[in-house]
Amino acid sequence: MTASAPATPATPASPTASSSSIEAFVEEASAFLDEHATRRPTGTGRVVWGEGEDRISYFGDEPPEVDRAKVDAARAWQRTRHEHGFGWITGPTEYGGRALSPLHDLVYDQLEAGYDVPDTGVISLIGLGMIGPTILAHAREEIKQRYLPAMFRGDAIACQLFSEPGAGSDLANVATRAVRDGEEWVLNGQKVWTSVAHHAELGMAVCRSDPSQPKHRGITAFLVDMSLPGVEVRPLRQMTGGAEFNEVFLTDVRVPDDHRLGEVDDGWRVTMTTLMSERASVGGEGAGPVERAVSRSYLTAMLEAMGLSRDAAARRRLAEVLADLTATGYLNQQSLRTLLDGRAPGPEASASKLMFSHNLAAASHLAAEMVGPRMIAETGDWGTFSWNELLLGTPALRILGGTEEIMKNIIGERVLGLPKEPGTDTKAPFRAPTGEQS
Amino acid sequence: MTVTTTAIAGAEELEDLRLSVRSLLADKSDESRVREVMESDLGYDASVWRQLADQVGVQSLAVPEHHGGAGFGQVELGVALRELGRALVPGPFFSSVVLGAGALLAAQDESAMAAHLPGIAAGTTLATLAVIETDGQWRTHGFTTRAREDAEASWTLDGEKSLVLDAVGADLYVVAADTPHGPGLFLVESGAAGLEVTGLRALDPTRRVGRLTLTGTPAAALGRPGNGTAALEHLLDRATAALAAEQVGAARACLEMSVAYARQRVQFGRPIGSFQAVKHMCADMFTRLEVAEAAATEAARAVDGLPDAPPAGEAAAVAHAVCSEAFMFIAQQTIQVHGGIGFTWEHPAHLYFRRAKVSQLMFGGPAVYYERLLERWGV
Repeated sequence: MTASAPATPATPASPTASSSSIEAFVEEASAFLDEHATRRPTGTGRVVWGEGEDRISYFGDEPPEVDRAKVDAARAWQRTRHEHGFGWITGPTEYGGRALSPLHDLVYDQLEAGYDVPDTGVISLIGLGMIGPTILAHAREEIKQRYLPAMFRGDAIACQLFSEPGAGSDLANVATRAVRDGEEWVLNGQKVWTSVAHHAELGMAVCRSDPSQPKHRGITAFLVDMSLPGVEVRPLRQMTGGAEFNEVFLTDVRVPDDHRLGEVDDGWRVTMTTLMSERASVGGEGAGPVERAVSRSYLTAMLEAMGLSRDAAARRRLAEVLADLTATGYLNQQSLRTLLDGRAPGPEASASKLMFSHNLAAASHLAAEMVGPRMIAETGDWGTFSWNELLLGTPALRILGGTEEIMKNIIGERVLGLPKEPGTDTKAPFRAPTGEQS
Repeated sequence: MTVTTTAIAGAEELEDLRLSVRSLLADKSDESRVREVMESDLGYDASVWRQLADQVGVQSLAVPEHHGGAGFGQVELGVALRELGRALVPGPFFSSVVLGAGALLAAQDESAMAAHLPGIAAGTTLATLAVIETDGQWRTHGFTTRAREDAEASWTLDGEKSLVLDAVGADLYVVAADTPHGPGLFLVESGAAGLEVTGLRALDPTRRVGRLTLTGTPAAALGRPGNGTAALEHLLDRATAALAAEQVGAARACLEMSVAYARQRVQFGRPIGSFQAVKHMCADMFTRLEVAEAAATEAARAVDGLPDAPPAGEAAAVAHAVCSEAFMFIAQQTIQVHGGIGFTWEHPAHLYFRRAKVSQLMFGGPAVYYERLLERWGV
């Protein structure tokens, strides 16, 4: 999982990309999309109770073969994009990018949202969005040339080997050891909550290289080939029943020194690059099963279907949920307008993230209240038991990508300027060498 | 509805407007001045009122140009309202400029607009709106106040209107009453025969409230009698969008006050803002405010009919609910962040708390605004 930070564009805008070229870009991108994808039907989005797919889940929770097929489709679509110059719109040309501005990137995303294309989140959210920029900023030239084009072509999926059993919100507490041995490093430790590791060719590992230094120092980051001996990925079954995350065990994994990201013992700074690169995802596509269910149309249809149209308590709860949901939508649209106007987004993105998990949880519990006892077992009735998948997924939304508490610290400290909590373990050595466990 | 907005301010103009209102209020209507005037007979500072009209032209912002206004819309008015809310400026701004002028515009009565809007825009005429009756319910039809038309086509009103903002001192009352043709709006001038105006003890001393007793009081029909419900529904969108701007302006002042205090107040050897319990309270206030700010902005854009805005009825109802809840929540948390000092009369927190509750209730309160939101969506 990733800690969240205010989103910043992944790569700097090219000075050659002016707003006047946007029109030509739109034309080119539209032509590409028209040729390689089909437009989504522009329906009203109105839900008719009992019609359509009855599957509402935030996490995939699908059988492995279905999951694998979706990843293959994502890779294929990413390759098609890349071949036509839309694989890495903001990237430097020497690594296969187009060197256009973040605005071009945003415009492309907006256009693509109108087409029925495979979801490439498995490749883009972490690999292209966060690890790509880190490699660009901190890797050696030959490593950039070797991996960046492959990643943006969809050939290499990357994961974050960050969280550990003892390092969740306190990421700087990582204990996975990296010991230098000539031109190699030997990695030993356990990573956890690693998204997409089961599909990944690459991992970015944050390791303890010098335990005698305070915890934020003495960290070194590496790019790890996930096929190396000693890398073992085990699925982690989460409370929904599915396994979207993994545990990754590193046992005497030998990583060449040229795969090091940044300087020795300077890995915390490298890690910050990764976390600060989290892409702004505003606006949303609004076409997924969650967006369809957590909507005014669906929930009001449910009110009627459950015979609650005249129930004052249900109406009140529904109105409260829809008011927040609609206002959060306004907030996202305003952020998007800001970005499309070429202005920097404000701190509202952090508010939007907190509201997102709040709204999904509130809607799920409202749905459960409206459905009533039919939520407790599969009766075969449309739009009832199916809500459990989303309901069971909502606790994760308050944890992943930085817990709600960490998000609130970030808002309090970086946005509002409140003082940090005095750290009790930021000055002392991470671990006294004698007490160290291997 | 007729299009009343003929001017649109750019981002820079809006910022200029915000700064000029803010600096005037910082200079002339700081907290100590607010406290002085809220306890005075008049209830507000007439010279601040004049300067807002003469130096900035705040009263005329959203009045159409051909009626003596600047021809701007809710977006521009919202900028000024945020500042007025922020400083809790007492005075008939909301009653006259938002409700009074708003009712004239909503009724689309050209001759009444020509007669009264220039005065409201200049700040020389104080208008207000009388809808609520003795049962305290905000409604758009079913009034017990009756309007009667005599043989000469003159109207008289009989009834009682309650919870009328800035009733004492108003020059012009827009009164909702039932007619044989359905609900209608009527204009009653101060000093009219059979009109009795009484001030009531108010929860928010910066927002005066009164009662009207009408006994055979002569009145002029505003728009077509029978059109009252439609006019009031339309006015409600404008008024709640305006109120939302005032609410987020005041709520932002609360957040800033709380953050400043949390940075400076030391307990257990460190600023209380470094404790997560307090820091997270502030973060929650911030989050609620960001959402409320977005809702208020969207409501103003919607009422102005901007092409990419949602329907006005939806956005205004969303903003009314979200901003009312947010301001009330933030006003409560402001006192909690401040601890004991926040509960004193001397501290401004209670003034914001009072304003938050009044704002939340004056158009019906939570049960009404959530139901209204569903109605706007046809649920």
